Amino acid sequence: MALVTTPRPGVKRFISVDFDLGALRTAGTRYWAFVTILLVGLTLGGLAWGNAMTQGGAAMAMRDAYPWGLWFTNYMYYVGLAAGGLVVYASVHLFGAEQFRPLSRLAVLLAGVFVMMALLGIITDMERPWRAVWMLLTPNPTSPFVYTGSAATLYMIVAFFDLWLLFTGKGGEKLAFRMTLIALPLAIYMHTTTAFVLSMNKSRELWNSAMMVPIFLTSATASGVAVLLIAAYILQHFGILKLTAKMFRSLSTLLATVIIIDLFMLFVEILSIFWPTSAKPGHTMRFSEFLTGRYAFAFVPVLVLGVTAFILLSRRSTRHLPRVQITASALYVIAVFMKRYSLMSMGFAINPLGQYAPPYAPSLTEGLLAIGILSLGMLIVTVSAKVLPLAVPEDEYGHGEALESGRLEPIADGATESG
Amino acid sequence: MSDNKKLDSKGSEATAPEGYTYSRRRFVEGIGVVVGMVALGTVPALLSAQAPLVVASGNGSEPEGGDVLDYILEEDHAVNYPGKPVSYADPAGSEKWAMVIDVKACVGCRRCVYACVEENNIGRNSGFTYIQVLEMELGKVDIEHANLEYEEAGSPDKWYMPVQCMQCAKPTCVYGCPVIATWKEPDGIVVIDYDKCIACRNCLVTCPYDARHFNWVEPEVPEDERNPDVPLEEKAGVVEKCTFCIQRTRNGGTTACTEACPVGARTFGDLSDPESAVSILLKTRRVWRLKEEYGNEPMIWYVG
Repeated sequence: MALVTTPRPGVKRFISVDFDLGALRTAGTRYWAFVTILLVGLTLGGLAWGNAMTQGGAAMAMRDAYPWGLWFTNYMYYVGLAAGGLVVYASVHLFGAEQFRPLSRLAVLLAGVFVMMALLGIITDMERPWRAVWMLLTPNPTSPFVYTGSAATLYMIVAFFDLWLLFTGKGGEKLAFRMTLIALPLAIYMHTTTAFVLSMNKSRELWNSAMMVPIFLTSATASGVAVLLIAAYILQHFGILKLTAKMFRSLSTLLATVIIIDLFMLFVEILSIFWPTSAKPGHTMRFSEFLTGRYAFAFVPVLVLGVTAFILLSRRSTRHLPRVQITASALYVIAVFMKRYSLMSMGFAINPLGQYAPPYAPSLTEGLLAIGILSLGMLIVTVSAKVLPLAVPEDEYGHGEALESGRLEPIADGATESG
Repeated sequence: MSDNKKLDSKGSEATAPEGYTYSRRRFVEGIGVVVGMVALGTVPALLSAQAPLVVASGNGSEPEGGDVLDYILEEDHAVNYPGKPVSYADPAGSEKWAMVIDVKACVGCRRCVYACVEENNIGRNSGFTYIQVLEMELGKVDIEHANLEYEEAGSPDKWYMPVQCMQCAKPTCVYGCPVIATWKEPDGIVVIDYDKCIACRNCLVTCPYDARHFNWVEPEVPEDERNPDVPLEEKAGVVEKCTFCIQRTRNGGTTACTEACPVGARTFGDLSDPESAVSILLKTRRVWRLKEEYGNEPMIWYVG
């Protein structure tokens, strides 16, 4: 399999993975400028956390009317973004979608980092983070929080372990396949239980719908695939990955499919809220805020951006263009964030006693915390792109038997064409 | 075409290294794992949701020749009770606390609200009160259009409904707390362990009565107005709510709101005593509960 080579200078071997620290020394100014920006973001986040720890809830824009804020929006959002990576990784090993193999390492790295960011959001929101230990000591089986929290933690561990397996090739294809059998159900489980945090509340009419679960699954997959597509284009641009136009077309077809399922489910949910024989006043009046009320600014774009992204990805004449694919992906990544935000805050905007609160906007501390966490995640990916062997060695493509049987063309050929 | 495919797949199976192949069986195994994981995850939840029913049927045989209200008591029992009382109160007695509020009498003067703030050391800067009095239009119980911020009480064209923690028999807040930092004591009072609350605010989200409140700021209470019977320190960053004045009622007193009501709209007492005022009210008057359809089984009744 792997060729025995003399390590280049600057390559440090740690836990059987080659860390190419030498690549950092040769990195250009633009790379370091970007890293500096991220470090500034991280520092601001650190300061904001310090501020949150000393001032407590007073530093937050959250109040009883909005008991959860940006941290929870981001929790749902990042957990969702982590899905795309896993779907792509799993489709390589479970469904034989060989065209995605060159993406597998990046996909798993993104999955792990996104879940880590989601969990950091929870930790930084807690006023006494050490009390999190009670989640392990006395978990309450009827609380959805216990399930989503443990699933996310487990998922992060599995993702990073998977990444290590992909780097080292330990256990071969067989173990990689078995890991998929753990990781894919775990991912579905994580998104389901995250949706439960909202949907399992009879006190909040807007969320109390089982449709939340499939919508969470599709939104998660769509936004995750979209962000993976963008990341793949960026890494290809900097010559870290070699990918084919065919692979991107497969990815964008997958994206378009999931987007339309996502929109369809939203449509039937809306229909059941407003249909005269099923409309319940509490539910209808809350959802109306989305379409014509004070949350229209956040929710109407969800529909507009979603439909636009789908149209962009389905027009035969332009859908193969990288520009179009990136635009559509970006639109949907934004749309899903708006959806998470409006769903979370509108669920609170009219409280169980019918009292209105003006739309939620995060405080400076909350905003900087989110920027800090985002910077940390991007920093990890940026450094990994240089240091870690994210490019899948071409001798792993099709892992032998597929090549021999002649069913699959080696993708490497296409890569040189498109590059 | 299809023959070719067959041949190919056979060929690839034959040459597959380390016995690795894609197969339908593997795929089904994968689906099996999915179903298994989800099922495993939901089992404890289902079990604990069923548990109260089991306990209830066990208690059912206890009271002999009992009261007509016994079926309510059977549903009301400790939930997630850790076996020892909450640190800031005496152990529960054998009572089952309940309250009846006469909305016909209530004039919306908010004296119960003020008495409660003083009794329970609610931060004067905290921006919440345990009791919220809703002013509503005549003709319906329209919570969605209720007014909390009314300036003048006693309007003859309106009616008033005080809402506070209902000490539900099936408290969604207790079910929703991820760390069992809140529970229902044997006498029916839902309490919060301030030393354990992780500030996730999930209980605020699960409560259909908006009865729980989070201390976003350090609660400030003037030195001379502090009630020594109620904890005040360490309350910043945790959730609090009405406790049926646990510090008074467990020592033979009544709640501060009941005491403060100028029109006697509130009746507080022991539901397990068939001769108590609340029991008699429930038996002789036609009563209703807020959001009965939610199934929380609140322990505050309204009568009008």
